[in-house]
Amino acid sequence: MARTGWVWVVVPLTVLVVIFYYPLFFILRQSFTGEGGHVGLAPYAEMLSSSLFRGALLRTIQIASLSTLGCLVLGFVLALIVSFVPFPGARVVSGFIGTFLAFPSFLIALAFTFLYGSAGVFNFIAMDLSGATQPPIDFVYTKWGVILAEITFYTPFVMRPLLAAFSQLDTALIEVASSLGARPLRIIREVILPEAVPALLAGGSLCLLLTLNEFGIVLFIGAKGVITLPMVIYGKAIQEFDYTAGCVVAVVNIALSVGLYALYRFLISRTGGGRAVAVQG
Amino acid sequence: MADAAVMPGLPRAAAGATATAQVRSGIRFDRVTVAYRSTVALADFSLDVEPGEVMALLGPSGSGKTTALRAVAGFVAPTAGRILLGDTDVTTMPPFRRGIGMVVQQYALFPHMRVEQNVAFGLRAAKAARSTIATRVAECLTMVGMAAYARRYPHELSGGQQQRVAIARALAIRPRVLLLDEPLSALDAQLRSGMLNEIARLHRELPDVTILYVTHDQVEALTLADRIAVMNDSRLVDVGTAQSLYQQPPSDFTATFVGNANLVPVTVEAYDATREEARVRFAACSVVVRANGGVTPGERRTLCVRPHALALESPGSGANAIEAKVVEVQWRGSAHRLYLDIDGIELRADSKPLREPPHRGERLTVHFASHDATLLAAAGPGRGAERGRG
Amino acid sequence: MLLPSRVSRVGAWALFFVLFVPVFGLPIVVVGAASIAGQWNDVLPSHLTLRHLHDAFVSNAGVELVTSLATGVIASVVALVIGTWAALAVRALRRRGAKVIGTLFVLPIAVPSVSVGLGLLVAFSRPPFLLNGTATIVLIAHVVLVTAFAFSSVSAGLARLPAHYEQVAASLGGRPAYVLFRVTLPLLTPSLVAAAGLCFALSMGELGATIMVYPPGWVTLPVGIFALTDRGAVFDGAALTVLLLVLTLVVLVAVSRIRTRASYR
Repeated sequence: MARTGWVWVVVPLTVLVVIFYYPLFFILRQSFTGEGGHVGLAPYAEMLSSSLFRGALLRTIQIASLSTLGCLVLGFVLALIVSFVPFPGARVVSGFIGTFLAFPSFLIALAFTFLYGSAGVFNFIAMDLSGATQPPIDFVYTKWGVILAEITFYTPFVMRPLLAAFSQLDTALIEVASSLGARPLRIIREVILPEAVPALLAGGSLCLLLTLNEFGIVLFIGAKGVITLPMVIYGKAIQEFDYTAGCVVAVVNIALSVGLYALYRFLISRTGGGRAVAVQG
Repeated sequence: MADAAVMPGLPRAAAGATATAQVRSGIRFDRVTVAYRSTVALADFSLDVEPGEVMALLGPSGSGKTTALRAVAGFVAPTAGRILLGDTDVTTMPPFRRGIGMVVQQYALFPHMRVEQNVAFGLRAAKAARSTIATRVAECLTMVGMAAYARRYPHELSGGQQQRVAIARALAIRPRVLLLDEPLSALDAQLRSGMLNEIARLHRELPDVTILYVTHDQVEALTLADRIAVMNDSRLVDVGTAQSLYQQPPSDFTATFVGNANLVPVTVEAYDATREEARVRFAACSVVVRANGGVTPGERRTLCVRPHALALESPGSGANAIEAKVVEVQWRGSAHRLYLDIDGIELRADSKPLREPPHRGERLTVHFASHDATLLAAAGPGRGAERGRG
Repeated sequence: MLLPSRVSRVGAWALFFVLFVPVFGLPIVVVGAASIAGQWNDVLPSHLTLRHLHDAFVSNAGVELVTSLATGVIASVVALVIGTWAALAVRALRRRGAKVIGTLFVLPIAVPSVSVGLGLLVAFSRPPFLLNGTATIVLIAHVVLVTAFAFSSVSAGLARLPAHYEQVAASLGGRPAYVLFRVTLPLLTPSLVAAAGLCFALSMGELGATIMVYPPGWVTLPVGIFALTDRGAVFDGAALTVLLLVLTLVVLVAVSRIRTRASYR
């Protein structure tokens, strides 16, 4: 049975290898192929020492970790209320969160320019109130705009596993705790939070992975000073036709996110957060 | 049918429309071992199930009984040994060739098919003729009393009804062997006894079908089975007719698992070969029990006496009387259960409901007839003896 | 009940709506408003018009809509076939093998979409695969990105499927192929439909890989939307975004309908 099983894997595996692993291999190969076809580490030496790359790497990590942190805090608070202070319409909210996951991320970036952009709603409000002639709000075009947009878009990715984890939490635990005289904050800290740790870890690492690779939001906001690794790849390969440089950055970016993904899988298998898998749709 | 040519030993009843006289075949386990990695699920298991017999595999969970059944069905591959259906070695045959009917605990009715489609499944898979399918489905549904529900979906049926359909589905392929894996354990107590009678009736109607019935419930096994194979720790412990296992359990495990016997370590004082009786001693008591041979004075044995054999009033001559202290009294509706203490040895006694039950701490005398007790080999270190509480 | 007093409960709800509505509701509202705005030179848009939405259908954006739909449908179907096949095949393997092969199939989730696009660009611009500049390379990019989701979604469905259905089917004489098509796949329908919806939605919104590989003749909606906003036609971009959202939502709602009907119990 198990021996004949391999026969059936061959077809889909072949397709996968051709359309995914074969291109992956070429990224690696191209990244070592310098000018004039020389094979070596020269492209890496050049790219890794450039200030463009260093700045992008630093900014990518900074944006990803701050966004993830924001998603965790906001997601935890919102999931807590939906789960434990239920109100009519809480189900609609859960459904809304589910569909939000299926929307493209650039939607948020687009909305942000309408809301907080230089010709955005809030700037008009601010100018009407203060009488200023120049738009006072300009954070959208900084890394903070990107971070806020990413928090908005990725918070549902944290909420989903959290809501799943909370729905499995025995409400008797909370009732017993409050009958023993524990106040809400104490219950959250000592009963709910420990139960939420696996989901927070899983949701958080997924969030980190996705924000590290986020492209649509950064591209649509189009802030000059906010260059992330995927933006460098796009700029080098598409705008400068420098495939080698693009591939070097891609190798670094892939290594980073595959490493994070391994951590995510490890955390899920370790903490039993598997029930709350967010990736599985 | 290509199948029939491949396995002459197993004519596919499903394909033949006229097969009323069935070929009977038994099941033979020939030193079957099933092991997963380091754990052994079934160890050196040998058992012959006669054609047309109902054999119950009885044991606690993890005793290997379900593994044995799954090995017959072909869902686990033995690491050693052979399994024969009739004369055919099926050890490596894929499940769909074995022609076995199977009913599982969760019914496993296909939720996307109507009742009649469920019952027709095996016949369709064997490419039986339309007319054959229609008659056979109607016949099998009538047999289990579900003809009126043919157009329903499984989720529209109660648990008991689903179980009937599952049985009809298994019978539709006219299997020579029917495997029942804890078929009643998902039903509530009332339905369970009804279904038990139902299965017994079906077997009277289909005397040629060999049934292997896996259960952990001794009542089901005692009611239904011609013979019972008692299993524990992946091994066969005892096999015998229900009556013999109950009245003269060959081992202490069987004694406790089938009928909750009291087991008391005793010393043989004397043996009367003509009357086949032995006088044995435990604590300060000396009692006479039935013993058929092989008993020598001074030997250590285990006395086996069932709770309901212990009576508060004397049954008359030849009875043993034991003085005991009442530790606990429980009323169980149809009986009073007394927990008794005889110098540190605990005995359970089930009496008829008492108008004035004894009080805790009271001393009283219990009686049992010598033919209601048997002597077993001395109990191994704790094996099984701690079971059977309550 | 975590918060026994009514006052604190109301406080919690207030906090929820103060956070939830501006963060998640406002963006969608504002994009919707922009799609019908003739001008937006104050707090509220003015000169409301359906021109942008109308233009979206008649201009070349209509072509982009069809392109996106075609890409989404084709990529979802292909991904579903590959993903389901792979999930079924992996299930038949022994533990170690299943783990390794399973990981190979989900790994694309972890690779940034821009890099997937770059890889296809580099690898398929040379023999034996000369696909650069064709619609096929866009389709391949989408298939790569969504197959992993189809695979893990169907695998999860298979893991939840109790083994005894297939075992009983086999004991009744069903050969493996018969059991697969009559029992396993019908029972998997809810997972398959859900996976299809997810794949379609992801494909409709895909930007990173598409922007790397798309040829001029195969412009998907997100790429078109970017082109519009990049040259300042933000209201047209918003109109197209609204179309994209509505289309995605319609498919998701249809999918959840089918899904409820397919889950018999």
